[in-house]
Amino acid sequence: MSQDASLMAHLMRRAGFGATRNELEECLSDGYKTTVDKLLNPGESNHMPDDLIRRYHVDQSELRQLDGAGAYWLYRMVTTSNPLEEKLALFWHGLFATGYAKLNQARALLNQIDMFRQYGFGSFRDLLVELSKDPAMILWLDNNENHKEAINENFGRELLELFSMGIGNYSEDDIKECAKAFTGWTLKNAEYMSVRASKDSIWPYGRIAWHYEYRANDHDSGEKKFLGEVGNFNGEDIVDIIATQEPTARFLSTRLFQYFASDEVGDDGNQVIKAMMDSYFESGFKVSAVLRTLFNSDYFKSEKCRYSRVKGPVESVVGTARLAGSYQEPTLDVHFLWAQTMFMGQGLLAPPTVEGWHEGVEWIDSGSLVERINFAAKELSDPTKYGVQDIIRRVTSGYRDFIQPENLVDSCLDFMGPIQVGADTREGLIEFAESQGDLQLKNGKTDAGGSAQVARLIGMIASTREYQLA
Amino acid sequence: MANKGKSLVVVQLSGGNDYLNTVVPYGDEEYYDFRRTVHIEQDKVLPIDKVYGFSPHLAPIKRLYDQGKVAVINGIGYDNPNRSHFRSMDIWHTAQPDEIGTEGWLGKVIRDLDPKAENVLTGVNFGRGLPRALGVRGVPVASVGNLDTYGLFPDIKDESAKKLALDAFAHMYGGVQGKDPVLNFLGQTGMDALKGADILRTAPQKYSSAIEYAANPIAQGMKSIAQVLLADFGTRVFYTQHGSFDTHSGEIITHAKLWDEVSGAVGDFYDDMQEHGREDEVVVMIFSEFGRRIKDNGSGTDHGSGGVAFIIGGEVKGGMYGQYPSIREADQLEGDLHFNNDFRSTYSTIVEKWFGLDPVPIVNGHFEQFDFVNA
Amino acid sequence: MITNTVSIRYLKTIGIVNNGSNGRGFANPYDVAIGPEGNIFVLNRCDPARRNAIRVGVCNINEEYLYEFGYGFGDGDGQMMLPVAMAFDAKGRLLITDEHTNRITIYSDEGEVLGKWGHKGESEGEFNGPAGIATDSSGTVYICDQRNHRVQKYTADGGFLAQWGSQGTGEGEFNLPWGLGLDSENNVYIADWRNDRVQKFDSNGHYLKTIGDSEVKEEHLVRPSAVSIDGNGNIYVADWGNERVQVFNSEGEVIASLKGEATLSDWAKDFFESNPDEMETREISDLNPDVPDHLNNPYHISSQTEPFFWGPVSVNIDSDNRLYVVESNRHRIQVYEIE
Repeated sequence: MSQDASLMAHLMRRAGFGATRNELEECLSDGYKTTVDKLLNPGESNHMPDDLIRRYHVDQSELRQLDGAGAYWLYRMVTTSNPLEEKLALFWHGLFATGYAKLNQARALLNQIDMFRQYGFGSFRDLLVELSKDPAMILWLDNNENHKEAINENFGRELLELFSMGIGNYSEDDIKECAKAFTGWTLKNAEYMSVRASKDSIWPYGRIAWHYEYRANDHDSGEKKFLGEVGNFNGEDIVDIIATQEPTARFLSTRLFQYFASDEVGDDGNQVIKAMMDSYFESGFKVSAVLRTLFNSDYFKSEKCRYSRVKGPVESVVGTARLAGSYQEPTLDVHFLWAQTMFMGQGLLAPPTVEGWHEGVEWIDSGSLVERINFAAKELSDPTKYGVQDIIRRVTSGYRDFIQPENLVDSCLDFMGPIQVGADTREGLIEFAESQGDLQLKNGKTDAGGSAQVARLIGMIASTREYQLA
Repeated sequence: MANKGKSLVVVQLSGGNDYLNTVVPYGDEEYYDFRRTVHIEQDKVLPIDKVYGFSPHLAPIKRLYDQGKVAVINGIGYDNPNRSHFRSMDIWHTAQPDEIGTEGWLGKVIRDLDPKAENVLTGVNFGRGLPRALGVRGVPVASVGNLDTYGLFPDIKDESAKKLALDAFAHMYGGVQGKDPVLNFLGQTGMDALKGADILRTAPQKYSSAIEYAANPIAQGMKSIAQVLLADFGTRVFYTQHGSFDTHSGEIITHAKLWDEVSGAVGDFYDDMQEHGREDEVVVMIFSEFGRRIKDNGSGTDHGSGGVAFIIGGEVKGGMYGQYPSIREADQLEGDLHFNNDFRSTYSTIVEKWFGLDPVPIVNGHFEQFDFVNA
Repeated sequence: MITNTVSIRYLKTIGIVNNGSNGRGFANPYDVAIGPEGNIFVLNRCDPARRNAIRVGVCNINEEYLYEFGYGFGDGDGQMMLPVAMAFDAKGRLLITDEHTNRITIYSDEGEVLGKWGHKGESEGEFNGPAGIATDSSGTVYICDQRNHRVQKYTADGGFLAQWGSQGTGEGEFNLPWGLGLDSENNVYIADWRNDRVQKFDSNGHYLKTIGDSEVKEEHLVRPSAVSIDGNGNIYVADWGNERVQVFNSEGEVIASLKGEATLSDWAKDFFESNPDEMETREISDLNPDVPDHLNNPYHISSQTEPFFWGPVSVNIDSDNRLYVVESNRHRIQVYEIE
């Protein structure tokens, strides 16, 4: 495969969940720059239609429980024509980590994810305002308990520390003033809804969904001093100030870099981050502009950047399902797909704390690695799956009678990515392929046994170390 | 040489076990006033004394209680009880009621028992996914869905095909390590997983016992625990769970079935240990994230607070511990039982008296201990 | 006779959510059928992750929970996986369709398994996702064969009689048909779900009429799930995508529209009696809130507004002219009286 294809596959692993060969060919005909532009300007996406999901899955119509809601989002990730839209929503979900455990309200989380889709590419300032009005976030960080007469600074603190500027760039007083500005930002029927949340109550008729409510009479409209500025600030004014801070630009750019480019920043990374920060200010805080700078940077395109990230569990599950072509229509056991993310240590919609997940190499321990390998190997060694059949067709095209193990390994690696592997891995794969003998063809086609033989090798490739990296 | 180390088996009753129908205040008339529909008939209760008795569905536990092997921890809970499943379970798992904790108390126990993480099997969970109680960064814990197929490639049924896959895996992960630290780490972790699974899978082959466990999941879970424990891999902490005890409706039938299963499994496990002369080396702790409302809802009971835990083992000093909370209206906490002993007292007792570890960092504070187990 | 008005009065709500494996309450109910003695049979579809709740619960109009039956989740005899609809036949037997096992199972009203038929396929007598079902007074059974986009007609014991329809948008064509109702003359009404309309046929499958495809948005059906016809020939449609029930006269004109007005069932009242803390805060809440623009569509409004229909999947009329609206997402049945 060409250098272009390797680069494009890299882009699609990072800005999406990896590409099938069909998708890759489409991107290659567009070229790199156009592909980046298309990814960053998604129109309406094609994905599994809501009505079909709701008709088939009663739990995903009601969206009361965590597993059904998680599966609902996974369907979207697996079938979307706008992979970056979902990948970016997943980034915000990790950054603004809001979890089911305290809310007991799955729909509120999905509404929040919808908000990430709508605002996630645009101005970071607008996104932070919407985040502050998000009912799931309000309950998650107790802003419903942040009253004019008695402030609760939980949201104010995390807005500064975890969501925008990072620790060390503001004082304890700034936190208090920030919290004051968000008094009165609550959700409708906050008292009843918080009692229900605290008891995980689904009674009597299932959950009641949430929306934002501003209570002017519970808002502290007095003067506040925040980051050196003085005024009768409300929440929007605070976010206006936050958005213009250099630490905010650095924080956002660094987090985006780590998620999309490389777990470790390094010197090259710092240069890219600097350029991303410039784009942030030049564009009026636009996330898409920051990402464009990243994707078009020399570093991002360099060999050095490839395979420098450990895939997150959700990324891994979704990428595998997309490659296998599974879960393309409502499927009875889709809740297990969500459970996989839990087993692998990233329960979708259920981050453990507001700090989100520990990423990078911390995704890996012996238990989670076994879960990753077993899931990917099972999905991709199934010759009845559409995506697996497509790989088999491509692998065998151009051959007539048989394929030798070494060629078969290289060809599978190519059409599954291309995936670059180290010498040990390649030798292990060839050893495995040799144990199965030459792949016999009849007029260039495999019989059922032959398809199963290729599928077993594909499953083995999904078990490699390199497959765990993006 | 048999491992003479002490071990702990934790059985989690998920969903909120109804205390009042587990250890029944059958001698208190008010119980029948509050529980007009969802109660255990007086003549069915297995009496402990004139007021309290076990539900008939705890018969195997009552048998062990009569032998002095069961400590009943009454009125267990924590301040400002949370009645949400997830949150309350998190509190029990992290021993941190006041803030969202990240480290599991048993994960810390495992770390202290095996500080260098020399044995990947010091802690073993039976079930998919790791309960937060066992989760501490850098502490390996095996999560076993099915002991017979545990490990890599459980979906390859053919033994020789599986061997080929595992050989190739060993080649791919175990080869000469390059300079990429992440790939090296992945290689090491993969090889650890391979070895751990190879060891664990031998447990059923080594095991023989006259006990016939029932076919339900908790009985099979306890059987797996017995197999691993008796195989002497050095496992000190075992974890499993059963449910759902979330009996909002039709409680009488569901609760009876669940306790038949749990008490049967625990009774069989004790007998199994006894058969192998190991009952003095293991303690079983049974707990649930919360109790249920005092007043029933006409069909079941809703989320409440104040619960009961059980400690069972050869070295346990049997009896009633803590106080059974009063169910009188004036003594209730928002319609629930008022807890009177912090669950971290029970944890501390196990950590210090049973394992000989310092409980303070594990349970996040000093708590008065019980005397329910021989040191 | 064409009627231009109908008077429909809200009577009560029956139900409460119940995920458990037994006891009163419902788990994502998908249909009701009224038994020969007037008891209300409720089909709990639940979902595969909470499969223990799969069963039929039986109660009466006085909200007494009488009994229940089921054989668990699976494809064994009497078991169900994704049950969709049910109907009593002329002999008082209960027929249940299952869109996953592609089977119709016949139960006695006590729950005894009396028979079954069907398997996956597209030939005559085979199914791909059987859904709505109804029987006429002679025992003939009509079934929507959803993913084969057709209607099939059977004898009372599953002998194939006839079929009509294929995938498409034209007259007599279907796209994932769901609900099915019969009128007193055995005309067949199909909730042609993904074509957003109801089609009327005679009992031999001759196309007669389309209902609900009006240009007027107010009257236009969106993903109708079920249809039932009263003694006057008025047509009640569960307008699933609009979270409402539309009532048409026999000419297809809208003569009434219901959006739901649920109140607390007796079982719900019991719940609040033992959970007064929830009742206290509920009483100071506005359960009919205005919702912000981005949530301003029927589905989201119903998710925020407890009294409204949410996921209306079935409408049924009993011999006392009571209308039962089953709401899958709210685990309850709203009962109305037609005067």
